[in-house]
Amino acid sequence: MAEAAPRTGRCLCGALRFSATPTSLDVDVCHCGMCRRWTGGAFMAAACEAVAIENEAAAGVYRSSDYGERVFCKRCGSSLIWRMQDGSSAHVSVSALDDLSGFALAQEIFIDEKPAFYDFANETRKLTGADFVAMFASAEDGSGQ
Amino acid sequence: MSADVAAGERIEGRCLCGAARFSAELHDAFMSACHCTMCRRWTSGMFMSLAVKPESLKLEDESTFGMFASSAEAERGFCKTCGSPLFWRALDGSSADVSAQAIDDPSRFPFELEIYMDEKPANYGFAGQRRRLTGAEWRAAKEAANG
Ligand SMILES: [Zn+2]
Ligand SMILES: [Zn+2]
Repeated sequence: MAEAAPRTGRCLCGALRFSATPTSLDVDVCHCGMCRRWTGGAFMAAACEAVAIENEAAAGVYRSSDYGERVFCKRCGSSLIWRMQDGSSAHVSVSALDDLSGFALAQEIFIDEKPAFYDFANETRKLTGADFVAMFASAEDGSGQ
Repeated sequence: MSADVAAGERIEGRCLCGAARFSAELHDAFMSACHCTMCRRWTSGMFMSLAVKPESLKLEDESTFGMFASSAEAERGFCKTCGSPLFWRALDGSSADVSAQAIDDPSRFPFELEIYMDEKPANYGFAGQRRRLTGAEWRAAKEAANG
């Protein structure tokens, strides 16, 4: 399943370091209201397996829903990881990775929550929040991402 | 352009969890995006911000904000509880930018400026026409404005 090798990453100040293995080289952008507030932009992330945080003491964890939680650096506030509380999936900030090579912007989700004032120029697959939740639910059956 | 946006207007913003809240008066009536490597690591993407009058930036409860001195000239404020990046400001008080995404309805701000284009990875770009500056061009423009 893992198509890429593990990559290392870190927050802005360097207190929080991690390694993670991208499951593909697709960058997913999330425009939902929660991600936009949490990032100051849009959450640009790669689905990853084997996410290992080097220094857990540097990590703040905020439970933003019944199932998801967000990991940030307590010292500098970098927005780093969105993950399922049950550990079933994780999306890692692509800009936190030391090596960005090969990544391409592939998918935009919660496009219905994107404010009108910006649009990416890239050709991407665009899903509404409802589309995404439906896809995620079918992936839970064991087939998908 | 959005006629309802004007420099001097007081805006209010908050983090994702609601613990960290601020208000400030707009310096400019438009939104800009910074693609510098520091902002990208901080935000996962790019920092979409509104320039505010530095002296007008009020933090409702300072104890809810974490501060990080990201260079000799500037510091970054974020929510200690949820990690939302909220503002960047110069330590000498010459400028401050707050997260446009911390505002309830950011759509009303026109997107007129992108900076640090030279540090933007090639794998994404924004559609549309606007002023686009390298880091050096931006610093020169800022110095000229602060004159
Ligand atoms: Zn940090
Ligand atoms: Zn918060």
